[in-house]
Amino acid sequence: MIACVAVIGHQNNPLYIQSFTEADDALKLHHIVHCSLDVVEERVNNPKKSGPTLNETFLGLLYPTENYKVYGYLTNTKVKFILVTTDLDVRDADVRNFFRRFHAAYVDAVSNPFHVPGKKITSKTFAERVSNIVKSFGLSSAG
Amino acid sequence: MEEYPEELRTPPVTLIALVGCPQHHPLISTHLHSEQPPINTLALPDLSKISLLLSSADKNSLPPPDPSSIPTAGILKRDWLLKHRTRVPAVVAALFSSDHVSGDPAQWLQLCTDLENLKALIRPKNIKLVVIVVHSSSMDDISEDGMIALCKRAELDSKCLVIFNPSDSSQLKQSLNKLGSTFAELANTYYRDEGRRIKTRVEKKSFNSNELNIRYCFKVAVYAEFRRDWVEALRFYEDAYHTLREMIGTANRLPVIQRLVEIKTVAEQLHFKISTLLLHGGKVIEAVTWFRQHFASYRKLLGAAEAIFLHWEWMSRQFLVFAELLETSSKAIHSNSNSALGTSERSFTEWEFHPAYYYQLAGHYLKEKTKSFELSLSMLQNADEIDGSSESVTPSVYVGQFARLLEQGDAFAVQPLTDEEYTRYAIAEGKRFQDSFEIIALLKKSYESYINLKAQRMASHCGFLMAQEYFAVSDFSNAKQLLDGVAALYRQEGWVTLLWEVLGFLRECSRKCGILKEFIEYSLEMAALPVSSGTGVQSFRANECGPAGPASLAQRENIHKEVFQLVSGETGVVSVEDNSDLKVNRENPLHLEIDLVSPLRMVLLASVAFHEQIIKPGVPALITLSLLSQLPLTVDIDQLEVQFNQSECNFIIINAQKPPSAEISNSQQSRQVESAPSLVLVTNKWLRLTYAIKSEQSGKLECIYVIAKMGPHFTICCRAESPASMDDLPLWKFEDRVETFPTKDPALAFSGQKLAQVEEPDPQVDLILGATGPALVGECFVIPVTVASKGHDIFSGELKINLVDVRGGGLFSPREAEPFSMDNHHVELLGVNGPEGEDESPVGYDKIKKIQQSFGLVSVPVLQDGESWSCKLEIKWHRPKPIMVFVSLGYFRDSNEMTSQKIHVHKNLQIEGKTAVLISHHFMLPFRQDPLLLSKLKPVSSSDQGTSLPLKETSILCVSAKNCSEVPLQLQSMSIEMDDDVERSFTLHHSGEDIFGPAYLVPGEEFKKVFTVIPEVESSNLNLGSVSLRWRRNLQSKDQSSSTAEAWVLTRHKLPDVNVELSPLVLTVDCPPYAILGDPFTYSVKIRNQTQLLQEVKFSLADAQSFVISGSHSDTVFVLPKSEHVLGYKIVPLASGLQQLPRVTVISVRYSAGFQPSNVASTVFVFPTKPHFKTADMGDKGMESIVAD
Repeated sequence: MIACVAVIGHQNNPLYIQSFTEADDALKLHHIVHCSLDVVEERVNNPKKSGPTLNETFLGLLYPTENYKVYGYLTNTKVKFILVTTDLDVRDADVRNFFRRFHAAYVDAVSNPFHVPGKKITSKTFAERVSNIVKSFGLSSAG
Repeated sequence: MEEYPEELRTPPVTLIALVGCPQHHPLISTHLHSEQPPINTLALPDLSKISLLLSSADKNSLPPPDPSSIPTAGILKRDWLLKHRTRVPAVVAALFSSDHVSGDPAQWLQLCTDLENLKALIRPKNIKLVVIVVHSSSMDDISEDGMIALCKRAELDSKCLVIFNPSDSSQLKQSLNKLGSTFAELANTYYRDEGRRIKTRVEKKSFNSNELNIRYCFKVAVYAEFRRDWVEALRFYEDAYHTLREMIGTANRLPVIQRLVEIKTVAEQLHFKISTLLLHGGKVIEAVTWFRQHFASYRKLLGAAEAIFLHWEWMSRQFLVFAELLETSSKAIHSNSNSALGTSERSFTEWEFHPAYYYQLAGHYLKEKTKSFELSLSMLQNADEIDGSSESVTPSVYVGQFARLLEQGDAFAVQPLTDEEYTRYAIAEGKRFQDSFEIIALLKKSYESYINLKAQRMASHCGFLMAQEYFAVSDFSNAKQLLDGVAALYRQEGWVTLLWEVLGFLRECSRKCGILKEFIEYSLEMAALPVSSGTGVQSFRANECGPAGPASLAQRENIHKEVFQLVSGETGVVSVEDNSDLKVNRENPLHLEIDLVSPLRMVLLASVAFHEQIIKPGVPALITLSLLSQLPLTVDIDQLEVQFNQSECNFIIINAQKPPSAEISNSQQSRQVESAPSLVLVTNKWLRLTYAIKSEQSGKLECIYVIAKMGPHFTICCRAESPASMDDLPLWKFEDRVETFPTKDPALAFSGQKLAQVEEPDPQVDLILGATGPALVGECFVIPVTVASKGHDIFSGELKINLVDVRGGGLFSPREAEPFSMDNHHVELLGVNGPEGEDESPVGYDKIKKIQQSFGLVSVPVLQDGESWSCKLEIKWHRPKPIMVFVSLGYFRDSNEMTSQKIHVHKNLQIEGKTAVLISHHFMLPFRQDPLLLSKLKPVSSSDQGTSLPLKETSILCVSAKNCSEVPLQLQSMSIEMDDDVERSFTLHHSGEDIFGPAYLVPGEEFKKVFTVIPEVESSNLNLGSVSLRWRRNLQSKDQSSSTAEAWVLTRHKLPDVNVELSPLVLTVDCPPYAILGDPFTYSVKIRNQTQLLQEVKFSLADAQSFVISGSHSDTVFVLPKSEHVLGYKIVPLASGLQQLPRVTVISVRYSAGFQPSNVASTVFVFPTKPHFKTADMGDKGMESIVAD
């Protein structure tokens, strides 16, 4: 299950962050998302280490915490997507698929002429789409 | 890691024992210890000691006769490893002195008995025996027989008998080396045999319990480690580990809690061994993978609820130990991990290879332990009870087991514990530790490690966790220091919710420390954070969040209210430290400063814009003051003070709704006081105030501070910002909010500045440059300058004059060399003349007068209103060139220079310098006379050849001067003057006469003068001197006094050098000045030979239509040296008018030079009838002048 998704802007500022857990761990998830930016930075700055994923937007597993797994995605405009999931056994393909759909939703949201680039995404449509994507996460592999 | 026993932490080292001859023990043991691999030595002085050692060991270490029959009480014995590392040697070496071997029979017998005893002791344990024979003295020799007998006696191989000679150094070295290798080999055999013996038990599965299986595996692995067979050791440790994992569900030997504790303790040991082996082998990825497995298989084994804290403590220890292992072997790792990361599967992430990650999690689990420990503690009914009952509990024989030690008289009895007893014991033990400091230490390691890795966000998170621990133990200063750093990062990156949390802690810290100012600053910042209950940011429930409370608009409002109650003095803050009630009141006024980088810009932002960039002194200028606040509730400002760099411009804005306090009206009466109908700051809405201010002082006027007074004793001093260069509000810039301009006029919002330039007061002085047309090169051009006061008195006036080339660049050009001018300035300021009489009386002021070639500085006397003063600038042009004359007057309005301001008046004037006269010249020969000049015959370089003049012949020089200016000129004289120190080598006529009295030359007119030159020496470059022309402006129309000022200007024109040569032949055409129709006249061509040679000359005459000719048409004649030949023709004109005479062509054969008179020279006017001339007045001179024209 997805615990949290986030869109992170150029100054590493959160543009959109939404948690989907029942438990009261939103603050903890914020911390996790924020900490994962270090890994994103590390991967982006040292592409040698990441090897074959050099030109890929999908950054892979960023770091495991005791209960979560954090995945990252970097768009061509250097906007970062972070996914925190509680499933400890996640297929890469599912995560990639999720990010692809999430990216599409993000592009649509920022294409809104009333959206000012660099500001938080407050679109309700975007939030709805994201929650749909989150709900369908992993279903494709199960079904 | 330190809490593990030594024998577990270090790899096992082979142990041997030395018996007898104690004097040699240190030498041998030192050598063995330095062997590679090292060997530890047990040194026993004599044989009786070894019996003690081994027999005591005998009791414990003998395995039970039938292991399967007795139920095992535990998995691993606590002291087994230690025993094998320190008490059970693999080899026993008996040292005998050589004289015992070869000495008398009694000694030999003694030796044999000793050997027998020793053999009896070590044989059951398979310990190997080595006999060392020590040379007692260098002389005696050990017989071969004796050695063989000894071997037999000891039942030894010959290689196990070593002869040791300590007296001879080379032999000593040799025997030591032999000892080392023998010991190593035998020990290896011993450990292999022992390992194999137990391994067969494992393989045959000759046991019925997992405990034994684990124990045997462990032993095999340890023996393998003794042999340095790491692969086998690893394999058996792993076997033991897996078997242990299977035991969890099955074993039922012990009560449930203690069973789990034992299993985990053993697992921990096995895991530690495996990790160490992997890491030392450089297999980082395997180690990390192994740790993951270990973590995964045990993380869910929480155990019983009341002892759950034991699990967390155990987990924390796993992470800590692994972190320490990683750190100690980090050098080996770092070289490997990079390549490993690149190639290995992606499931590993960067942090898993860094100890920081494990330290952080160790801290995290320790935190969990603390929480559950507190829960367990609270579950116990009475805390006193546990203290008494746990005293007699000790670790038992087996690893991970505890037992109660009962004292029964002299003997001790061991009694197993129940789970309840054990839990109490564990809690009592746990109470002894201060977990918070442990957590802080762990997090600190992680924090520093992350900082080294430049992972600032991870480090910040650790810092935040650390600060929370500090906060929990009431160490507020440490907490605050950490939190401040963390808050800075969150502020910078705009993580509002995290910042909210951190600020909540900071606020609490400063409240507890009693630092009122910081408390208010943090509170205000929190209140102004962009936290809302809208989408995007979720609110947290109360139990999760820290002292800040949930991040919500309501909470912001609460904080806002709390702060404003505090600053208004209604409430106070209770400090923890000195327990005093802190209040904002008359004794403790509060003053906050907000600068351009302060996070409090959100609380109050002041933007100040002048409507005009340049304002006139004394004229009111509009200034707009805009204030913005993001505080959730509206704020009333009592009074605003605006401060400028010119303090007399400061003004105060009073809220009209509030009565002005007495102190304001008293202290600041002199200032400008404005009143605003209301000073209310609404959230995210600019409060715009426009006022007019006046400045008397020229220069920069900048608004520096806006100070808002919001209560009797609370002020916020806000640095003013220009709207044009204002940064976005931190944090709010990411919010989707309504943004408005600070000023009503959007243009002003983009361009407005908080500073303006105050102009100088307008000068009330006229500066007049009277220019009179273009200047002429060479003359002294005068520009009258008049300073006329029209309202201002002039004190300390200074007139600066600058001459600037209009085309740019200076007035100097190094490329154009000027032969006649010493200085290279083309235009020169010669001087400044004051009005008449002024120069002679320099009184009343300091007369400054500096004149340079293009710059002048003149002081102006004190002038009263209405007076005027004038001077004249004299400028001389050396070259035609337009220049700009800049004249600026600086003056003070009164005599005190300190108080009044300098006022400047500038004027400029472009003046063209023009050449007045253009002098040209040309040479002519006398009419109808042509000397043959040989130099002209040469075809080459005819262009650059100068003029050639015939020697001792008359040549005519015609000089003309043209007025190129636009004013009439007056000429005084024209003459040819020789340059200095050059002797004149030619005869010149008409040179020095001033023929024209005042000769006027209107613009465009040309004046000509004819000189006759007869060169007297033959020279290729005869200096003819230069033409000097004296002229001046004809100023008769002006009424200025030109008599003195206008001097004659001398213009010189250098004549080119001429080539003077002797002409060999001179041809003179002779014919009358005019002819009469039908009247014959004589036309003769004289050829004069001036050489010493006979000259052959060919001539021919062309027929002409208008004439009838008599004479030879063509012929060749010879002209004798220094003589003349005349060709005479009689000609009758047939037509009247200007007629072309028949053309004669003369060719000198010697010089191959042809000659034909020019058309002009061979033309004659034919009158129809004889005219009547009055030729009486005309002399030679007049005739020539006419001809020249």
